[in-house]
Amino acid sequence: MATTVTEQDLGLMDQVNSLARKARLAAAVFTQYSQEQVDAIVKAMTIAAIDAAQDLALVACEETKMGLVEDKILKNLVASEFQYHQIRYKKTVGIIKEFPEDNMVEVAEPVGVILGLSPVTNPTSTIIFKSIACAKTRNSIIFSPHLMAADCSNRAAQVVYEAALAAGAPRDFITWIDKSPRLRRITELLMVHPQVDLVFATGGTHMVKAAYSSGKPALGVGAGNTPVYVHKTANITAAATDIIISKTFDYGTECPSEQTLIMDSEISELLLNEFKRLGCHICSEEEVDKVAQTVIDERTGSMNYKFVGQPAKIIADHAGFAVPIDCKILLCPLIGELRKHKLVVEKLMPVLGCVTVNSEQDGINRALDINYAGGTGHTAGIFAADDDNIIEKFSQAINAGRIIVNSPTSIGGLGGVYNNLHTTLVFGCGTGGGNITTDNVGIGNLLNYKRVPKRSNFIMTFQTTKNIYINPGSLDHLRGVKTGVTFIVTSKSAAKRGHLAMVMERLPSQTRVDTFSEVGAEPDFNVIKRAITMMRQSKPDTIIALGGGSVMDAAKIIRLFYEYPDLKLNELAVNFLDFRHRLVVFPQKTTVQLVAIPTTSGTGSEVTPFAVLSMDQRKVSLIDECLLPDVAIIDANLTKTLPKELTVDSAFDALTHAIESLVSAYASDYTDGLALEAMRLIFEALSPVLDNPGNVLLRHKLHNAACLAGMAIGNASVGVNHALAHSLGMIFGIPHGKANSVFLLSTIAHNAKMPRKFTSISSYPLWIADEKYARAAQFLNLPVEKKTNGKLALAANIENAASVSLDAKDIIRDQREARKQLLIQALSRAIFDLLEKCGQAKSISELGISEDDFKAKLPDLVALAFNDLSLRTNPSFCLQADIAQLFIDSYPPRTRP
Amino acid sequence: MKESITHKIIGDLSKNDEAVEKFIAAGDKDLLIDFSACTFISVSGLEWLESMLLKAGSGKVNVTFIELSTTLYKVFKVARIESILSACGSPAASSNSAAC
Ligand SMILES: [Fe+2]
Repeated sequence: MATTVTEQDLGLMDQVNSLARKARLAAAVFTQYSQEQVDAIVKAMTIAAIDAAQDLALVACEETKMGLVEDKILKNLVASEFQYHQIRYKKTVGIIKEFPEDNMVEVAEPVGVILGLSPVTNPTSTIIFKSIACAKTRNSIIFSPHLMAADCSNRAAQVVYEAALAAGAPRDFITWIDKSPRLRRITELLMVHPQVDLVFATGGTHMVKAAYSSGKPALGVGAGNTPVYVHKTANITAAATDIIISKTFDYGTECPSEQTLIMDSEISELLLNEFKRLGCHICSEEEVDKVAQTVIDERTGSMNYKFVGQPAKIIADHAGFAVPIDCKILLCPLIGELRKHKLVVEKLMPVLGCVTVNSEQDGINRALDINYAGGTGHTAGIFAADDDNIIEKFSQAINAGRIIVNSPTSIGGLGGVYNNLHTTLVFGCGTGGGNITTDNVGIGNLLNYKRVPKRSNFIMTFQTTKNIYINPGSLDHLRGVKTGVTFIVTSKSAAKRGHLAMVMERLPSQTRVDTFSEVGAEPDFNVIKRAITMMRQSKPDTIIALGGGSVMDAAKIIRLFYEYPDLKLNELAVNFLDFRHRLVVFPQKTTVQLVAIPTTSGTGSEVTPFAVLSMDQRKVSLIDECLLPDVAIIDANLTKTLPKELTVDSAFDALTHAIESLVSAYASDYTDGLALEAMRLIFEALSPVLDNPGNVLLRHKLHNAACLAGMAIGNASVGVNHALAHSLGMIFGIPHGKANSVFLLSTIAHNAKMPRKFTSISSYPLWIADEKYARAAQFLNLPVEKKTNGKLALAANIENAASVSLDAKDIIRDQREARKQLLIQALSRAIFDLLEKCGQAKSISELGISEDDFKAKLPDLVALAFNDLSLRTNPSFCLQADIAQLFIDSYPPRTRP
Repeated sequence: MKESITHKIIGDLSKNDEAVEKFIAAGDKDLLIDFSACTFISVSGLEWLESMLLKAGSGKVNVTFIELSTTLYKVFKVARIESILSACGSPAASSNSAAC
């Protein structure tokens, strides 16, 4: 609001500042109060308000010349007794709510200083309501009453304030602006005063608008214009009675009260007759015009305030036609185009529009006409027996914060009398009315909620294939496998290497076997579809995946889509930041048993929940427990014929799995053990097996290493090395094991350094990648350079001494760090040496990729790697620049670390 | 620098503390007001602290508030009275806050 303080205002500023300061100090003092103290104050205020309900109603009627004393008494009681009933046990101090399942609590913080605007229509009840709500929430409030109701409003404020003060409330936590011609200006100045925290407006549109444009947080209400649909299934007498109760309540001053009835044609005549019988006047067409001319202000098109809260008789008299003195309502049939009818607007008086409709659709549409004619978001009503969901249809269509069913909308809207809505005199209208809430506004809106979430460490689990047969010769397990029909998924080479025959001859003799051997190096979804078509014929109870990673991955996906043909691959493959929050839901169970028999010692796919597939020139990764095979057979006899190059490639893939899962942000004690042992087995067996490829014992170690590392990545996943390798593999067609090999030394060096940016994973609170690499070197018993060993012994002695000086502690820390760096160096050296011994490329340049090609593709390499899921679990957050640097560092030939 | 003395507020601070006013009137020593035993501050208490600090300022007596409980310090923070906050060593309120 463009409020600038003028010279004339200077005289007012003392008053404004004084009110604001009083409220500010009271709000400060209030922060010390306990729930018990607050509740005692609220109780005392409620008692005082109940005692004064009648007096205050009388003075309100006298001053405003609106409404009915008896109903104003009721409103005062709703504001006090009913509100108290709803809030007495509510917590508003300290921890007010606990969410044990979310490990979170909610703590209340008062709003502070509130500027409370109150209306002419409900002056004393609004003051009582807001005062009690403020006390309960430890806020202070400055009241700005409507000028035409200032005396009765301030009287109400005084009554509850004095009771509060006697019960120990802070001085001046309720104050008010006295009645004077300056009242509105003072209000405007307070609205923008720095000490005011919230404007809590109820009143005419002008004041509510001013509140919202003050630049302060504001709670306010828009105008109402309540449509009420009387459906053909409604109880006619009950509906007519309720509508009369409601529309005559305080002579119609309640803003949720009925404004236009929409009546199904089947019952409209009955209903109008009922209204007539109960003492209402049904206006003729001519009388409707007269009413409209009287109660609608020609200039504004909205109601004439002179007639707000006046009885029907007075309105009829002014309009120029006769009704009995006790006429309850003037019912005005609205003929012609409804949207353009003068009486379609809000009329806070016993004047009620009505319109007949020929269908439910028409009924709801006409209700929408009223709903959107100035009262959007406020209140609506419906009377119906609801035998065909008409209430639900109505509620879907109408935009109103409260849709009152089979009861009076005015008293119903107040809450607590006819229903369990929160008791209020402040009706939130949502965005339809320019409000922030559709609530029945009350104490819940007068608090700041401080949420205190404790750190959630998600439950970690370890899952893998249930039955794993682990020694050479374990292929014999197939002899006892329970199967009638088996479907073998394999590759052409399985037949060549004799593996298919080995499997076939072991399967029980009565088993019917179908074989699909079309899985190549990088199967795509067409291969999967062909396999499934074949499976539909053979209807197997068991799938045997016989081959390397591609075959086992394909078999996992084949089983999934065979059992769940409606799944969508592109949805299953949607990338995710956190496994627990991912978009896609995989099926919970599979019925066809999957037996995975690896013939290479690398991917560990037989024990992982991963499956990779090519789709539209890219690789998609599926990850879910349901992809885990049921049985894995780790028989090294199947790897005896694995060529040297494949042996080395797959071993380095397995070694990378072990190294990356060890330092993964998802690593656990369970995966650490597996990763370390896998590394040990590879370091022990890989080099010798190259000279002795037929040695089953050495093959057995490598085969087990791959499986153990598979279990580790199946639970801890991999890291940046795989992201780089996937990218390089994709762009330059490099086999996975080779691609992993060329990055290993760079990624270890990178991850062993203090991260530029930490990774935000709740279960990875401390960055310990460097410690983990050092631990691996110790576990592998790798030789460490001797140069600082003497100092280390010295450090150990100092540490064990009874008293250690600060300097000595520094020395110990430095020595430990040096030792750790030596261990990391030892690990890197051991990997370098193993790569060298195996003749495996250690850098990208050794893969035959020219520097020009590499540089040209670098942006694509970085982009692809940065989007790789493997990065999520890397122990440090990898920025795009880190990834680019890792690629660049991995290009030139390497020297021994 | 003047010699200073410590004065302890006991219980509720709801009215003038005459001992403090005497020290300030004498003006020969700086004053440390210890709130460790103060259990509540009322609106009158806040008003008195403000006027007392005004007097101390004109009498060149330095007044420092010490041993404030979190509850009392929060009262001062919400009350936003500059002289009181400054006696607590609290930084001046900033009017321009950074955007989120
Ligand atoms: Fe891998």
